[in-house]
Amino acid sequence: MEDVKKKIKSFLQEAELYQSQGLLNEAKERYVRAGQLVKKNENLIKNKNLLKVISKKIHVLKEKIDRIESGPISVEMPKQIQDIIKHKFSFSKNDDAGALEGAIALAKFGQFEAALNEFDELIKTASISVEAAKNIIRCHKALDSLDEAANRYKEWLSENFFTPAQLNKLRVFLQGILDSQGVDIKLPKKDIITSPSLETLMDTEVSETEAVETVIPEKIVEQEINDEDIIDISSVGITFTEGPKKGETIEYDVSFQAGSIINLLISGDDKELVENLRTGVVLNEVQFYSPIAMFNGKAVVSSKSEIESGPKQGYYSLDIKVTSIL
Amino acid sequence: MANINLKNREIECKIVYYGPGRCGKTTNLEYIFKTFRKQAIGEMVSANTEGDRTLFFDFLPLGIGKIKGYDVRLQLYTVPGQVKYSATRKMVLREVDGVAFVADSIKVRRKANVESLKDLHQNLKEYGLSITKIPLVIQYNKRDLAKQGIPLLPVQQMERDLNRQLKVPSFSASAINGDGVGATLKACIKLTLQSMRKQLGW
Ligand SMILES: Nc1nc2c(ncn2[C@@H]2O[C@H](COP(=O)(O)OP(=O)(O)OP(=O)(O)O)[C@@H](O)[C@H]2O)c(=O)[nH]1
Ligand SMILES: [Mg+2]
Repeated sequence: MEDVKKKIKSFLQEAELYQSQGLLNEAKERYVRAGQLVKKNENLIKNKNLLKVISKKIHVLKEKIDRIESGPISVEMPKQIQDIIKHKFSFSKNDDAGALEGAIALAKFGQFEAALNEFDELIKTASISVEAAKNIIRCHKALDSLDEAANRYKEWLSENFFTPAQLNKLRVFLQGILDSQGVDIKLPKKDIITSPSLETLMDTEVSETEAVETVIPEKIVEQEINDEDIIDISSVGITFTEGPKKGETIEYDVSFQAGSIINLLISGDDKELVENLRTGVVLNEVQFYSPIAMFNGKAVVSSKSEIESGPKQGYYSLDIKVTSIL
Repeated sequence: MANINLKNREIECKIVYYGPGRCGKTTNLEYIFKTFRKQAIGEMVSANTEGDRTLFFDFLPLGIGKIKGYDVRLQLYTVPGQVKYSATRKMVLREVDGVAFVADSIKVRRKANVESLKDLHQNLKEYGLSITKIPLVIQYNKRDLAKQGIPLLPVQQMERDLNRQLKVPSFSASAINGDGVGATLKACIKLTLQSMRKQLGW
């Protein structure tokens, strides 16, 4: 009898300490075990309230755990932290590229407003102006304010700031995103008459032809892979070259993307498939679908973890890293 | 690889504190900031969520003197330990020069320690770095909890779990009291500078 009481007491002590350390799952587990012991030995326990107290504690812990698990991946941080992100998470030695990298880092950490401010400045630097503009569009996509992106594009159009060829690139890029997101906006094209100089006129004429319409997106793709900052990919098709699904192509939506790392959610129902997509496995035939282009390439599974709670429970979160583009 | 600024004659090294959630990474940095005030060349900055879990990183810049006329500056970072912040951990690890792996001595965290070390291995690999080559030390934290009757992992067992193959310097610690914190950092700095000198041919 003393043994049981001692055991319960030590479970409760452990639970309290784990809770104070923020080890909430461990604390909960200890309370559950203490509760089970109390129940089993009800006749020995004088304090009839104990079970109630324990289940209250478990309840509070559960709520806390839920709150933390559904907590934000990112929140707007004070300037001091944004400055560190901007300066310390930019690794390029080149000033302009470095500044662009710093701004992209802000966006990667979810500091979209601050990133937008940076890109607005960087757009004035010729060598990176198109990249900056594309990132403005990406930020608006992340902020769910694509209509603002469309307004920005229209400003650029009226400002004569970008060359017609650049404007065309931006239009194709943004229109692709608008279409894929189901936003019903048709972006106007650059009007030839308003750009009278010979050079711009030629640019525009070229971009008006059908052939170039399809070439330009591919060019963007190439350039962006080199940048190691791949364009937004909306879905991927994985063709299995071995295993039970050999020869089959399965398409997955991209849940998020950080540069060349693409995160997919795959259902846990197909055990064999999940089992085959082990970390380190090379995927030799992958089709990447972006709003503006489709291209083939290779990727490697860089991590896989089961989602243990929430609406996607039972699914697997799979990171694949694009390793080459054909 | 360490960042060398020839113009300002500065060398910057990046040391990252890695480990499972709640193991005491932030507590290590807080103690360092408190104790080595003179070396700090800026404030310690923390990007937290409520309930002081690290969301992005903690950052502490230290100056540790001169080598061959170059000012050596350390940037200490912690990563967020919670499993779901894997992408952030990877970003913080970029261009790392040395790692202090903080393990939690609490028995029920045994698996979390092992998984975090695997996660470190994987993330380093994706940057083309090897866990067997990078300057690395391991800390067995929260040893003080034994006194409170909390079941802890014996140090020998933690060595077997985490350090059997790596065979890197390891330290028992109690970051909350500061025990072992300085020793861990110093060993990590030593290895990091050794490796830097080798790379530079100094
Ligand atoms: N008793 C004891 N508690 C410690 C020790 N080190 C850290 N703690 C406690 O453990 C809890 C977590 O410490 P943190 O330093 O925030 O842990 P962390 O590794 O930064 O956690 P994440 O940011 O979530 O990854 C806090 O309640 C600390 O007070 C220690 O050596 N002994
Ligand atoms: Mg922390």
